[in-house]
Amino acid sequence: MPGDYTRNQESFPETDAAMEAWAEAMKQIMDTGSKALRSGGVLSQVTSEDVQIAESAYETVYEIDKVRLFHYHPTTKQKSTLPPVVICYGLFGRQSMIDLQEDRSLVRNMLAAGIDVYVVDWGNPTRADQFLNFDDYVDLYLGSCLENVVERNDGKPACLFGICEGGTFAAMLAALRPELLSGMALAITPIDFHGDHENFWLGEGFLNSWIGNLEKGDIDLLIETYGMLPGAMTGTIFSSLTPINSMTKYNLGLAKMDGNRDALLNFLRMEKWIADRPDHPGELARQWLNDLYRENRLVEGKFKIAGEDVDLSNISCPVLNIYALQDHIIPVSCSTALGKFVPEKQYEEIGFPGGHVGVFVSSKAQGVVAGGLIEWLERTQDTAAQPKKSRGKSS
Amino acid sequence: MNEKDNGFDAMMDIWQQSQDAFMKAQADVAEQFKTALSGQTPSQSAPNMDPLAAWQSFIKSWSPAWDMSAMAQPQNPFTQDFRQGPDAFFSTLDPQKWTQYAPEQLRVMLDSIARGPQFADLMMPQQKAAEAWRESLDYQQAASDMSRVMQEAWTAAYKTYSEKYTLDDLKSGNVNEALDEWLKAANAALLEAQGSDIFLNAQKRMIRASTEIRARQRDMAEDWSEVWQIPTRTEVDDLTLIVHQLRRELREVKRELARLKGENS
Repeated sequence: MPGDYTRNQESFPETDAAMEAWAEAMKQIMDTGSKALRSGGVLSQVTSEDVQIAESAYETVYEIDKVRLFHYHPTTKQKSTLPPVVICYGLFGRQSMIDLQEDRSLVRNMLAAGIDVYVVDWGNPTRADQFLNFDDYVDLYLGSCLENVVERNDGKPACLFGICEGGTFAAMLAALRPELLSGMALAITPIDFHGDHENFWLGEGFLNSWIGNLEKGDIDLLIETYGMLPGAMTGTIFSSLTPINSMTKYNLGLAKMDGNRDALLNFLRMEKWIADRPDHPGELARQWLNDLYRENRLVEGKFKIAGEDVDLSNISCPVLNIYALQDHIIPVSCSTALGKFVPEKQYEEIGFPGGHVGVFVSSKAQGVVAGGLIEWLERTQDTAAQPKKSRGKSS
Repeated sequence: MNEKDNGFDAMMDIWQQSQDAFMKAQADVAEQFKTALSGQTPSQSAPNMDPLAAWQSFIKSWSPAWDMSAMAQPQNPFTQDFRQGPDAFFSTLDPQKWTQYAPEQLRVMLDSIARGPQFADLMMPQQKAAEAWRESLDYQQAASDMSRVMQEAWTAAYKTYSEKYTLDDLKSGNVNEALDEWLKAANAALLEAQGSDIFLNAQKRMIRASTEIRARQRDMAEDWSEVWQIPTRTEVDDLTLIVHQLRRELREVKRELARLKGENS
């Protein structure tokens, strides 16, 4: 026992304290080591078949080039009177994020509410797609998908839910083709690419300042050299936005899970999603980085699609804007800028207390985000939407 | 004291000796032919000059501080690698191993080659090679600068940590808390650094330098493809662009046709 160390029948308090500290340190080190071993033990039993994502059933109802439109099978006999919802993710990740696992799935939450759900899958762009740009992705691909859903909905408009870069696409389409939309929800979406940069918190808005610091020629050279914006490159950039988290997730992070199989599988599903990062078509990336991130043309009304100015004040449907308060990728001020363009009575926000991806995969998000979205849909969209005249087909 | 302390004298000497060596080499070859044809044993006459000594003398006359043994000093990693066997020797062929010892002088040389005049009927492969080499130096410099910025961030993190978390705090033996405090300090310092101007500029140079190298690799690969009559990346990209433009035009025509049909029906 620490207090038993004596010499000439005297005790030495400093030695006792040091021994106690040593014992405490060893205990904590052994404890962490044991947790790491337990996690390692579970990991050694896990196979790739155990780590499945995006398992909700769907069928492909429309295809154009590599783009596919999925229609999800209903999971309840109760059919809502809400318009169909078309979910559009960006190209820096996959849409599987919204259906990561059974208990963390925006898609399943919406299906459970009886909502008709469609999801746009951008496919795997290769160098053969390097010249695709915003004209193609917004006007042609997303426009065609939405037209298809409107046709399937007896000519009545649908609700578009855009996420991240897909949210920017959605806002652009809503400005160009308002007749196709009964409502629009956005999540973690950049609109003002400069944001309130003077008031960013530490770690917020690195993408904005990093890209803003590059010159146009740097980005042009990057795109001309690679043809695409490689997924591996964007993945590395995203990792470097949170350096300590990236350095510790495979050691301390795993140890903290203490062999909890559910927690480890959640972690591995997220890893699987991160690893599957597609290459981004070069011309689209060039516009994204130069015209939007560097020159902020969208909010300045200087961005064109298929020859038309994108005027965000043309958005006429009800809008729900969801952002993450601790989003290190898309600053809050970059998202909330949309409020300046949409009439106040049509515009609502949900500020989710979490990070960029947490909006979809955290357990808290299932109530706050999915619940908030469904509540907004029921409140603003549950009317018999009347068919509106369409501008015409994109393809 | 070197008696050949006049550089021009030394240069004339070495030139003279070179001429002598050349003439002697002709004589030696003739002698070897003669020996081979006659079946006699070749003579083992010692050379009557020492070119290495003449060369050293020449160098020292221009640069008295020159020490030929400097390259062989144990702390020189270039020569260390050389001593460590054939693999290490081949690794010394990698410019990254040795260009760091005189990058600026090398950069000046490469600049002069790369900016040399073009001749219509002469291939100038050395210009491309010089450009490639200069770009690799730029990349090394950019990587080194970026590394220095991050190293400074880690140093700042350690300073903050050692100020906030003293040895007294460690006396509790709570290593978990100590680790958490360290990670917090490191995270704050790294994020602070990643938002600084010095980081932004280092990052810009790094991205630019690495992309230029990649572009050069592509350029060189295309030269190779041309030689072997393999379609180059540029040619494939050109075709892709043509297909992309044709497809877009076709869609516009179809859209216009549909519109006209709608108007007529």
